Amino acid sequence: MHRMLLVPLLASAALMAFVASAAAQQGPQPNANMSFFVTSKGPGKGADLGGIAGADAHCQMLAQSVGAGGKTWHAYLSSNTDLTKPDATVNARDRIGKGPWVNFKGVTIATSVDDLHSNNNKISAETGLTERGQRIPGVGFTVNQHDIVTGSQPDGKAFPGNQNLTCANYTSSNFGKVEVGHVDRTGLSDTAQAHSWNSSHQSRACSQDDLISTGGNGLLYCFAVQ
Amino acid sequence: MTITRSSILASAALLALVLSGNSQAQQASPEMSFFVTSAPVGKGGDLGGLAGADAHCQQLAQAVGAGGKTWHAYLSTSINAANPGATVNARDRIGRGPWKNAKGVVIATSVEDLHSDANKITKETGLTEKGGVVNGVGDMPNQHDILTGSQMDGRAFPDNVNMTCGNWTSSQYGTALVGHVDRRGNADTMFQHSWNSAHMSRGCTQPDLIATGGNGYLYCFAINP
Repeated sequence: MHRMLLVPLLASAALMAFVASAAAQQGPQPNANMSFFVTSKGPGKGADLGGIAGADAHCQMLAQSVGAGGKTWHAYLSSNTDLTKPDATVNARDRIGKGPWVNFKGVTIATSVDDLHSNNNKISAETGLTERGQRIPGVGFTVNQHDIVTGSQPDGKAFPGNQNLTCANYTSSNFGKVEVGHVDRTGLSDTAQAHSWNSSHQSRACSQDDLISTGGNGLLYCFAVQ
Repeated sequence: MTITRSSILASAALLALVLSGNSQAQQASPEMSFFVTSAPVGKGGDLGGLAGADAHCQQLAQAVGAGGKTWHAYLSTSINAANPGATVNARDRIGRGPWKNAKGVVIATSVEDLHSDANKITKETGLTEKGGVVNGVGDMPNQHDILTGSQMDGRAFPDNVNMTCGNWTSSQYGTALVGHVDRRGNADTMFQHSWNSAHMSRGCTQPDLIATGGNGYLYCFAINP
């Protein structure tokens, strides 16, 4: 009676261990050189990311979950311009290393900071993959999540100090708006802004519902800085 | 009957006197070509478009006997990349100046002067059409935020941002860029001192405009001063 119960229990435990190990080792594994991804999920509090440091930690955590935690990952985000402390202004383009950057599949999306901020960059619905190799549902999907939070101008720099397009430096789900880019390079009109990967439009506001309502889900671009 | 009639006539005469006296009191300088609206449209950033905002300026001017001039609101629309010719820059729609306030004081001599540090808009000169001072920093409530939707040079913002509440048609979508008529804010920066491009409103409803230090007031300019 005792022994008969124990055997299937042990067998179940062994099976569970095997399944868990298989999931970790045989799940989607990125190219060893992966240095760019779109987050498969957001922190969940709208554009309150816990500041830029919190966003970096989110990138690092997702990279770690697919075995790419050995690199240092930064989120592509600019801060607001603080005219009282100009040196404190953060430009997204200055915090992502020098490139080149490759995606989950090893495809190069940009060769340098200048290339990334030119029309020559290769970010698209096909290449803008998550750390798990998934595409982001964009225009044409039932749920469009193509808005990626950047808080940046097209050149990757911070907006002037009369605008709060970073939800107060990613610390608020209440105040401001946040600038987003379209990872699928597709929008409502055939304009440079609608096609922009990093500076298409502002969100309705800063809550998770606000981000969702304008075609996003609080996703981020993550770059390995080395 | 006769008595009744004369008392009606007397009342009418008295009423006419009161009305005339009232309009006398609110009469702006005949030279007035600039004012801040004394009342909002009332629907937040939804002004009925540029045309609605212009009509609001004209109506308030009319109420103080300055309706003989053509008045435009100082507002930009968002850059329309799909139809660039449709973009409106506030600086291009206010005539050539010089402009004077309700007391006849010159606030700027030209479009360039208006958009330079030399312009004379302050709490003391940024008067309403009735000659009133607009509540600013230190007053309760502070209503110094004036809707402009404009950059510091008086031009429209790029269309990757919506700083005009949907080109002044929405109290739901976007935000409004505002200037500080009293040239004061919460920091000693050029934007906080800017009469036309200080910061964004919380949103586009009337309570949103109030929450960030405004009440939906506009700058109005006579294009033929």
